[in-house]
Amino acid sequence: VKADTDIASDPGKFWFALDNAAKIYPAVITENVTNVFRVTAILKQPIKIKQLLKAVLRAEKRFPYLCVQLREGFFWYYLEHLPRHIPIEPDEHHLCRKFRKGSLLIRIPVSHNSISIECSHILTDGTGALELLKAVLVFYADECGVAVPTEYRSGHSAVISEEEYEDAYNRYFKAEIPPMVKRSKAFHLPFPLKSSPRFERLNAVISLEQIKKISREKGVSITVYLVAVYLYILQEIFEELNGAGKFKRNKKLRIQVPINLRNIFSSKTMRNFTLFVMPEIDLRLGHYTFEEILKSVYHQTKLETEEKLINKNISRNVGSEKKLYVRGIPLFLKSLILRLKYYSLGTSQYSGVITNLGKIELPEETAGLIGYFIMTPPPPNKMLKINCGVAGFGEKLTLSFGNITQSQEFEKKFLQFLNDQNISADTITIK
Amino acid sequence: MIQCPNCRVEVEENANFCSLCGEPLFSAAAENNAFTKSGRLRREEKILTDYQKLSGFQKRKIFWKISAFILISGIIVTMLIDFITHQNITWSKYPVTVSLILMINFTLNTFLHRKIFLVMALSFLSMMIFFILLDMYVINSGWKIHLGIPLILIAYVAIYFLIYFIRNAKQKGLNIIAYSLLALGLLSLTAEGLISVYSTGDLHFGWSLIVLATILFIAGLLLYIHYRLKKATDLKRFFHI
Repeated sequence: VKADTDIASDPGKFWFALDNAAKIYPAVITENVTNVFRVTAILKQPIKIKQLLKAVLRAEKRFPYLCVQLREGFFWYYLEHLPRHIPIEPDEHHLCRKFRKGSLLIRIPVSHNSISIECSHILTDGTGALELLKAVLVFYADECGVAVPTEYRSGHSAVISEEEYEDAYNRYFKAEIPPMVKRSKAFHLPFPLKSSPRFERLNAVISLEQIKKISREKGVSITVYLVAVYLYILQEIFEELNGAGKFKRNKKLRIQVPINLRNIFSSKTMRNFTLFVMPEIDLRLGHYTFEEILKSVYHQTKLETEEKLINKNISRNVGSEKKLYVRGIPLFLKSLILRLKYYSLGTSQYSGVITNLGKIELPEETAGLIGYFIMTPPPPNKMLKINCGVAGFGEKLTLSFGNITQSQEFEKKFLQFLNDQNISADTITIK
Repeated sequence: MIQCPNCRVEVEENANFCSLCGEPLFSAAAENNAFTKSGRLRREEKILTDYQKLSGFQKRKIFWKISAFILISGIIVTMLIDFITHQNITWSKYPVTVSLILMINFTLNTFLHRKIFLVMALSFLSMMIFFILLDMYVINSGWKIHLGIPLILIAYVAIYFLIYFIRNAKQKGLNIIAYSLLALGLLSLTAEGLISVYSTGDLHFGWSLIVLATILFIAGLLLYIHYRLKKATDLKRFFHI
């Protein structure tokens, strides 16, 4: 279903259906699993609040279709225009908290020298939120009197194309492609959970140069390198378990790596357009050395990001939503089924998530104001326990580990491993 | 530029409050603050008369005092006249009883305004007492007890549900009229049923069925207009499949 009205001509009537990836989220959101993620820019100077307020207003005008609220229909949820400003609030609440009913699905927490966008995954993915943040930063630079390229300056008068709020999965959906086979269950970390509110993060800044050099020596990308480290640490934690713990746990280690489909299929969409590759190692085959993991992850990601295979995945996901008997189930029943499927088909299949926003580019003068970016992943659920967001900017790469357990063993081991590979990491606390 | 001590963002130098976190920035604000406050107070005083400043409860209480004064003086006057002319209490017991029942109901409405169920229950009780008293004053067939009290009871139940629905309606408009009509229809149906049982001994419906059918049709139409036609575009959103 496409949005049937133009946002510019009549915002009051503007609405659209949830995109294919977002459909599952409303059914599984709780106080703890909020599906809210955060992209942060740390500036070199304290924020000038008046200029920021103006910049956000300009960004709102440029992306009006992001000002929507979630509504319940009879068969599906949908997003409906809500004539409100994006709330800019002091960053003193709990991280990535749930959005209330009848509110926008974005907020902008600000403190000292950091500007963040907290955004519900129902609305968009990391790339979409990053585009908004970049627009805010460029407008902010402009308001502060920093030179800004003209194509950005005229931002809000530019025509808003319908492509920006399309469901891009639907566009690239091809019928009659065979479905995927189900994967086996994967290993999950054994740490005990914290009590609610339980989501905390650990940020670490590492040198982009150093990690780039090392991964280039191995002939892989930074993402592949980090995935390999992730798997290696998981293996270490598994091997340290005692006999019974080892016996009862699944022995497949699998990492979910979101990939930005905008790089593969052309689309300007500002809504979700990601899919996952899931590199894995099977510990029943014995101990893996780091080099072996690296090689395996490299080939698996190469294979899985092939266009034909991606097509297959899109078709699997979108295809089930196109079936009439699925569409005709009333929403409350659908939510029940989705919630069950989320754990059985979703989280149980992977042991960790690493989401890389990539290297963030900005106009030179705006970039001069900014120290680094942080990508905080949405709070992991009780099965996953820990996940990791990555963002590169300038000479810095930040890792942000989301954690709901009482243990920091995983992060410590991860950073220690990087240290041993001559990549020094500084952990940072914000505030 | 100055820095907010709370959230540490930079705000304009002449600002009184941080526009992010609302922290007061008292550099030049002390007397300024007093002035804005008094200005607001003055405006409020100018616009509102004494009566407007009263809360809902205070207004109801004034109404209650006035009505109590009128009713009580009425009671005393009628009783005096009756006593002087007849040397006894004869006809004056009717107006006195009516006045007392009215007093009870005004009192209930004044002091238990939000507790709708309690008001209705106690008010029904007072009406029951009223009917029994009337029956005692005039010894006759007792229709007041056998027919009057059940009729009053269903009227109270109907009004109670009507108030309940109206209070809980999110959007008030044509739906209120529809609810009232429906209450009226059901009331006439039960009334005819009760009357037929009382007078002939068996249950049969005639005119009230016609009333109910017409009312159902009109109420349905009103509800449809209220909930559906007004937001015709919403249907498409709501039922998108």
